[in-house]
Amino acid sequence: MANPGIDEQPHDEAEALLPWYATGQLDGHDRAIVEDHLQSCLQCKQQLFLERRMVDEFGTLVPQVENGWTKLRESVVVPAQSRRAPLLQSFADMWRAATRPPVMGFVAAQAVFVLIAGSVFLNVERPQTAQYHALSSGAAPAKANMIVMFQGNTTEAQMRGALNSSGASLVGGPTAADAYLLHVQANERPQAIATLQSDRQVTLAQPIDGPSG
Amino acid sequence: MNLQGAIKALRAETARPAEVGERELLARIERRDIHAFERLYRMYQPRLARFLTHMLQRPQLVEEVLNDTMMVVWQGAGNFRGDSKLSTWIFAIAYRKALKARRCWPDPLEDEALNSRPSPAPGADQQVQHHKLRDALVGAMARLSAEHRAVVDLTYFHELGYREIAEIVGCPVDTVKTRMFHARRRLRQALPGDLADWV
Repeated sequence: MANPGIDEQPHDEAEALLPWYATGQLDGHDRAIVEDHLQSCLQCKQQLFLERRMVDEFGTLVPQVENGWTKLRESVVVPAQSRRAPLLQSFADMWRAATRPPVMGFVAAQAVFVLIAGSVFLNVERPQTAQYHALSSGAAPAKANMIVMFQGNTTEAQMRGALNSSGASLVGGPTAADAYLLHVQANERPQAIATLQSDRQVTLAQPIDGPSG
Repeated sequence: MNLQGAIKALRAETARPAEVGERELLARIERRDIHAFERLYRMYQPRLARFLTHMLQRPQLVEEVLNDTMMVVWQGAGNFRGDSKLSTWIFAIAYRKALKARRCWPDPLEDEALNSRPSPAPGADQQVQHHKLRDALVGAMARLSAEHRAVVDLTYFHELGYREIAEIVGCPVDTVKTRMFHARRRLRQALPGDLADWV
């Protein structure tokens, strides 16, 4: 790169930094080296214009790449589902059963009755008589210590995703007020509630037997 | 909180607002929050897609490598120590994944190198010159090594400094400067006409 009239060492140093000078990514020391050199080097001034042109041109090269979120989500969520298959399968069955038109009509009528009676939330003792028993399990079901309600348009997949995120297990529901009863370890409950409350589909998530239950 | 946790928390406190938001997402991802993961994915997908497109030169591999990268983020969110920016960590994962993929698919397909979209140009002459320059750059990029393409893309498009690029590609800063110097020379040689025609 011999060039008459150019002091090679500062020239090379400044020229090597030009791309990052063009994008404003140099610290004060490096920037001073380049700016000092630019005052006396026409070659680097021209090169700087080209660097800025390169930045502009590279900005117009936009690759067309498929958004692979759906595939990635499947590979993330499916393993989690398989770990909880019996419970979630039962949950899906319950959801399908609960959303059949006759059942939905019955649930709606019950909800109206509950609203008229001034009872917004269900009786917290209700899980004692409505506990859910997994078909494949003979163990005693866990006691519900959380309640959650979803928006009316929530799909079964969204509900399943919300429960997976929270780490809670389904104990019972849907109740007359379309609420679901959940169980989670006591020390994990505040986090589980926070996770559910941050979900857009969740309209209510709260403890039902005191803060430490 | 142990010492490492305290250091991590201190770094999070001193990070920039956008970085803090990203780190909060990462903390939620560590707790298996799929919604936080989706948000982070959608934030990074365009940038990673572009970076990997240039590195891989095989559009059909980009989605796969990108998802492999984000799967590492999902599975290893707790491994992020906070020594660097979150974006640096994620791009470093993508860089290593891309190099590994290229070992399996070493031959670039130049005609599929970049499925790029031209930006509108105001005048016919400018548009012709723009297309000539763009085509020359695409061809020249395809002939560079993956390591050189990574440095060029991270510099010109992602506008990262050479120190951060060195962290991503895992080499000394002088190597980054040298790679960029040679890549620029190759790109310049690929441009039709003289330097003065393009400035």
